[in-house]
Amino acid sequence: MSQGLVRSWFRALLIQGSWNYERMIGVGIAYASEPLLRKLPGGRDGDAYREALGRATTQFNSHPFLAGAAVGALAKSEHEGLPPEQITRFRTALAGPLGSVGDRLVWAGSLPIASAIGLTLAVVVSPLVGVIALLGIHNLVNFGLRFWALKVGWTGGVNVAGRMGVPALEMGLKVAAPFTAFALGVMLPVATSWLVSDFEPNGITGTGLVAGVGLLLARWIWPTLGGIRYGLIVVFIAALAGWI
Amino acid sequence: MISEILLLGLWGVLVGIDMTSVAQTMLSRPLVAATVAGVILGDPAGGLTMGVLLEFFALEVLPVGAARYPDCGLGSIAAVAVVAGSPGVLSTGLGGALGLAVAYLGGLAAHVTRMINGADVVRNAAALDAGNKNVIYWVHVRGVLRDVIRSMLVVAIGISAAYAMRLALPITLQGAVYLRIVVVGAALAAAVSGTIRLTGRRIAMQWFVMGLVGGIVGVFLQ
Repeated sequence: MSQGLVRSWFRALLIQGSWNYERMIGVGIAYASEPLLRKLPGGRDGDAYREALGRATTQFNSHPFLAGAAVGALAKSEHEGLPPEQITRFRTALAGPLGSVGDRLVWAGSLPIASAIGLTLAVVVSPLVGVIALLGIHNLVNFGLRFWALKVGWTGGVNVAGRMGVPALEMGLKVAAPFTAFALGVMLPVATSWLVSDFEPNGITGTGLVAGVGLLLARWIWPTLGGIRYGLIVVFIAALAGWI
Repeated sequence: MISEILLLGLWGVLVGIDMTSVAQTMLSRPLVAATVAGVILGDPAGGLTMGVLLEFFALEVLPVGAARYPDCGLGSIAAVAVVAGSPGVLSTGLGGALGLAVAYLGGLAAHVTRMINGADVVRNAAALDAGNKNVIYWVHVRGVLRDVIRSMLVVAIGISAAYAMRLALPITLQGAVYLRIVVVGAALAAAVSGTIRLTGRRIAMQWFVMGLVGGIVGVFLQ
């Protein structure tokens, strides 16, 4: 693995560092791509290097763990001398699929699985085991995906989409939803019974009522409310009732 | 005491920047952030309680695209600072309530940080478009530093509020019990709602029901 690729991988860990609503992770893409662009004709003082860096800063968003595929593929396209318009079109075409695959695989897959397994083990075995399980499962996916995506992007260039169609990824996307569902299904009763283990029967009934109203609001009446805001509202109501 | 607070603050900064800016290793998940905070404050059991409670809220958060989301990691550290060393009946509700408020504040602060990053990008747009390496580097590094400052501010506010609450617990025993009931109820609503959203499709729902049955059997066997 070249030194440039290693540097780029480390920089890609901070790819969301300057996240903003104007260019999203555009500047982060340029920051991570820079080590891969140093060997363009003319080196760091050349026009090709500056123009490629300038193109890299434009608006871009995707899943952070798979953004390395865009970093590698776009840098490779610059080395292959593709016309600027084609690189811009390629960049636009990459954002959506990388975001969608990453969201399904990680945010709606491996992360809730890691969280559910971590929670279950934390309350059944020990907190330390739960924390290690959550961090272990998540970071196996996190660092593995980041490394693989950058390498595939760099070797694949404009053919990165074809190179990413590996059986492991397809299998991951296929099993993510049922695994997540099963892990969360096991975790919910186990962790809830642990949380309410020292509640009086009236307390358990009250907890169920608050949960039921919250679920009703979240699913059918006020879907944009969110759990945190619902929590703050019921805390405020409880505090007000106590004060009165 | 002072060294514990400093250590907790340092842990808070690591947790805060892990949420978006640096590596996303999930130190920022409440289960991790709160358990470690509990160990720092000498109350691992209190840390675990707050970790499980706020992890339920975090299950509902999907950080996709340009979504704005609460900072449950920093919230859970403030929550542990309330409950550490206090009986669970008295402090769980209060800790959870502060945790929710700090998580919400952390999310708002992240939104403001992103807007300031945007202003920085707009100010340096010409140099960025021209591919000026130094400008790209510093715009990016300033973004990371802003997140460090955001985390420091939010965790400082959270820990200060927690210690103010501990000095004068503004609550009766009955009030504490009610507060615990509503906070745990809201957490359960968030977790179930998040789970349904993640497993909404028919095939996943079948797996969810199988897991649920397994979990319930496990609870009874225990």
